[in-house]
Amino acid sequence: MMTCEKYKNFILTYIDGTITDGQLAELKTHAETCESCRMEFKRCVLLQDVVKHAFSSRTSAEQAGTALVARLSAEPHLRLRPARLGTALFAGKRAAIAAGILLAIGLLLGFTLGRAGKSARTPLTARVPISVGKIEGTVLVRHEGSDVWQALDASSNVYLGDTFHSTSRSACALRLDEESTLELNQNSMLILKLYNGETQFFLEHGECTASLESPHGPFFISTPNGRVEAMGTEFTVTVTDE
Amino acid sequence: MPESPIMTTETDKQLVKSTLLGETSAFGAIVERYWNMVVALALSKVSDPAEAEDIAQESFLKAYSQLAGLRDPSRLAGWLSKITMQQCYNSIRKSVRCKNVMGCKATPLDSLDEISAVTANPGLTQNQIDFVRRTISRMPEKFRTMIVMRFVAGLSTVQIAEQLGKRPGTVRVRLLRAYKLLRKDLAPLLEEVES
Repeated sequence: MMTCEKYKNFILTYIDGTITDGQLAELKTHAETCESCRMEFKRCVLLQDVVKHAFSSRTSAEQAGTALVARLSAEPHLRLRPARLGTALFAGKRAAIAAGILLAIGLLLGFTLGRAGKSARTPLTARVPISVGKIEGTVLVRHEGSDVWQALDASSNVYLGDTFHSTSRSACALRLDEESTLELNQNSMLILKLYNGETQFFLEHGECTASLESPHGPFFISTPNGRVEAMGTEFTVTVTDE
Repeated sequence: MPESPIMTTETDKQLVKSTLLGETSAFGAIVERYWNMVVALALSKVSDPAEAEDIAQESFLKAYSQLAGLRDPSRLAGWLSKITMQQCYNSIRKSVRCKNVMGCKATPLDSLDEISAVTANPGLTQNQIDFVRRTISRMPEKFRTMIVMRFVAGLSTVQIAEQLGKRPGTVRVRLLRAYKLLRKDLAPLLEEVES
């Protein structure tokens, strides 16, 4: 039975025209002794012959070839036409449509991935040992190199180059260590910059209040108007337009 | 087992190239190679063998005039089959118009039988030939094309796939389905012929 399975597969390859000469010879040898496979193969060959004969032409292929060549010579209007411009244009049109579709897919993918990537994108700059403390309202943060503002939350990581922006109804606190915090008050913008290898707090506008542990090392807050050094443990810096 | 007409696609390419250079005998070789396939495809759409041969001639002439536009000469058979099917539709449309507008009468089936009787086929009676043709013409076109290209033109499923720009697996599945369907429908005839 197992052997017959093999020859049944040979018959299938015979039907699709991919049987090798060796397989065909093997099949014929097997069919001589196996009635089931013989009947199957015989039926298969007969079917093909029947179809071929039923669809055979009354005119032989040789005659048809000769007749058509004679007709081409006798009838001068039957001539080769040069490749039509339309064909080339059509091919170009198809290529243009294909290119358009690819471009649209590319744009869609880029847009989708870009949107998806932006929300999860990790900034290329280094993470700093600052964590987010208490938040009131919605404070926004933007990583360096990105133009997307995200809502700051307690689990947000803080990176060098981050810009924090509070509105008229929001504020947040950044924990610098166990006992030191920097509060960003309403309507303020704070940027973390690198200065002499240290993280520098740059208050673009608004107000921030630092509460530092005692004693503490040198601590500065930069503003567009100058650099302020903290001497005590608590101080507030305000940048206004005036 | 029909012999495959194109074991090398290069030969088709060479014939096309030679034809385009003005050698009409090269086109004669193309006609010889694919005449049976083209007639069979036409016969699977129209019942009249004479009409099928006319369609085949027109198809080859159209192919000749448009040969310069054939982008991939290795797909010559697939291209010819498309032209043939288009010619069949044109012919059928013309016949319908002729019948409706000018009152032409279609050739009666009996007289067709007389004409077709000259077909060289000692194994089948004319009724059996008609039965086979009718059975295949009722099949979906995708099956008909497979049957003709495989059993009449002798192309393997791999070659058919190449010609039609399809995957060999798809062609194989389609051919086997067509074969099973045909075998079932032609079972009484096959038994009759065998006995």
